[in-house]
Amino acid sequence: MTFTPIDLRGIVAPFAAIGKALEHPRTVCYPAQTKTVAPDYRGFHTNDLSACIGCANCQDVCMNDAIDMVTIAQERNTRNKSGCIPRIDYGRCCWCNLCVDVCPPDSLGLGQECIHVAERSDTFLFFPKDAS
Amino acid sequence: MMESKQIKIFHGPQHPGITGNMSVELDLIGETIQRARTHVGYLHRGFEKLVERRTVLQAFTIVCRICVPEPDPNEENFARAVEGLAGITISERAQYIRVMVQEMSRLAAQLLWMGGQSGSIGLGTVGQWSLYDRDLILDLFEQLTGGRVYHMYTFPGGVRRDLPAGFLLRLSELLDYLDKQLPRYDKIFFDNATFRTRAIGTGVIDSDTALERGYVGQALRGCGIERDLRRDNPYLVYDRLAFDIPTFDGGDVYSRALVRREEMRQSIRILRQVIAQMPEEGLVMQKLPKHRKFTLPKDDIYVATESARGEFGYYMAGDGSAHIRRMQVKGPSLIHGFTLLEPLLEGEELSNVALIMNSLGICPPEIER
Amino acid sequence: MNALTTRYDVTEKNPRLFSIEVDTRDAWREAIDFVTTHTAFVTLSQITCADWIEEEVFRLTYLFTDRARSQNLMVQLPIRRDGEGLPSLSNRFPQAEVMERDLHEMYGIPFEGNDTLYPFVLEGWTDLPPLRREFDTLAYVHAHYDFQQGREDNKDVKVEQKRRREEAKRLKAEQEEASHDGE
Repeated sequence: MTFTPIDLRGIVAPFAAIGKALEHPRTVCYPAQTKTVAPDYRGFHTNDLSACIGCANCQDVCMNDAIDMVTIAQERNTRNKSGCIPRIDYGRCCWCNLCVDVCPPDSLGLGQECIHVAERSDTFLFFPKDAS
Repeated sequence: MMESKQIKIFHGPQHPGITGNMSVELDLIGETIQRARTHVGYLHRGFEKLVERRTVLQAFTIVCRICVPEPDPNEENFARAVEGLAGITISERAQYIRVMVQEMSRLAAQLLWMGGQSGSIGLGTVGQWSLYDRDLILDLFEQLTGGRVYHMYTFPGGVRRDLPAGFLLRLSELLDYLDKQLPRYDKIFFDNATFRTRAIGTGVIDSDTALERGYVGQALRGCGIERDLRRDNPYLVYDRLAFDIPTFDGGDVYSRALVRREEMRQSIRILRQVIAQMPEEGLVMQKLPKHRKFTLPKDDIYVATESARGEFGYYMAGDGSAHIRRMQVKGPSLIHGFTLLEPLLEGEELSNVALIMNSLGICPPEIER
Repeated sequence: MNALTTRYDVTEKNPRLFSIEVDTRDAWREAIDFVTTHTAFVTLSQITCADWIEEEVFRLTYLFTDRARSQNLMVQLPIRRDGEGLPSLSNRFPQAEVMERDLHEMYGIPFEGNDTLYPFVLEGWTDLPPLRREFDTLAYVHAHYDFQQGREDNKDVKVEQKRRREEAKRLKAEQEEASHDGE
């Protein structure tokens, strides 16, 4: 370790940081002000139930086995031959978008919502919001 | 001289100055390190085994998680290895987009490094500024890929989405902003007397053995050895882009910091060329078979990408099925964290451990994979 | 490169990646000597092992990089899976020490002359070395972890489609029957 006795520039230059105090602060005052997410953000799933055909392609491609096909309470699409819709375990999902890519009728999508707060972990089983 | 006792302490894994979840076992006499031993194992997630269980196209979602500060070299390596084995060629536009992703990720990683390096000597202000600037890059990644940190964007066969409308314009605006911002970092960090006093002459790497021992990235370029995979073993369209490879002769922490400082400017230069040269038209994603029908031949390949911390390589072997037989990650940290760091710390002072580790860019996830 | 092609059968994987194959320990030792002294490939970058369980071998790949860092050479050697070791390269390449330590832990390959083969990442691990093909991750997970409750109502879509088709057919037949009865 060498000590240069007079490194005047090195001592004075960092004081330029004071200039930052005059600038407008860049923090977002949550929750009064929220950050907008990008239009193509990969948030929670949405599913257009009037288009979903219950084919389980999403279940097949999911590499984390996060998707269950469960019987729908009220039928919305007559072309849904199995009467099942996907339900996603958000304890396993990694939002990789593969299920959306393989969806034949393009009914599954990832939405903008991305905040989920709950006391119990079993609320992680998530039915995609109906986008129709 | 007073007789002094030897004590042993574990520097990490909970120490804030350590780079990630690892620890260094130090034998000290007073403040001086007699012997250093690296310990890992706090972050083993078994990526290489997980990849073998999944089909090729499913496995790509795992690899980006190997490195948090810069996931994109992993995705790039994975995609290029699969393309090399399966014989896929990708369009020119997709190649330019991939270069753009690589360089944006490099800029983001260097800004994050700047926060870590300055934090290791107590200059907290620099980290607050640079992480804000990194967030602006992450905002662009969010628009491009839908994710901020794990992009899962570079896919075998190209990239998964085309650019959103007006993206290159916003990128260009960000580069103008960074151009203005980088000289301010010079003032508060690179020229800072505190940093210079601590960094000059600390952690000097022996340049004679650097090549043989497999050091990569700034560890080489900080000793004046000009090696960069983007020029030496070019991939994508890097051979059509003009950039310099900065080198400094000191071999110490300060030289490595200056190399990174210059590399940020070179990344901006490359990104400007990408914006100018990117073809308007082109298929960004090749048509691939379904994931259970996508097979790799029985062959093996090694691909490497220049990440922000040096050569990042993947060995991949296929076996004729839809699964990968073996994928091994070769990050810069395995050699840097053991072969380089252990002798380098001997004789140093305790307070310099975090400084040296940060400058070598050691990241435990790629040691443990 | 020329020296190498006259002596070994070099496979060109791509313009910057080559591989040579050896099959005995002596040939392997000789190849490593030759490559590091007579060619430009001076850096040992990586040691990889791939488990070919159906052929009963581990295929080890020693990856060498040249001085200009522009070409790579793979020296490949199969060894038996039942605990056959190799001499350590840590005397010549200090970086080999940690790579061998990693492979010893993940595959159980003993490297003779490497004295750092104590636990690396998996401290306290008593099971099989985990990267061997016979180690089943799913069975390990079932034995050690609980799964999320409430996922039992998952349906097999193929079965469900068939069941509904048959039900529809039955309903239709019943309806037809009912309409016949009405006449």
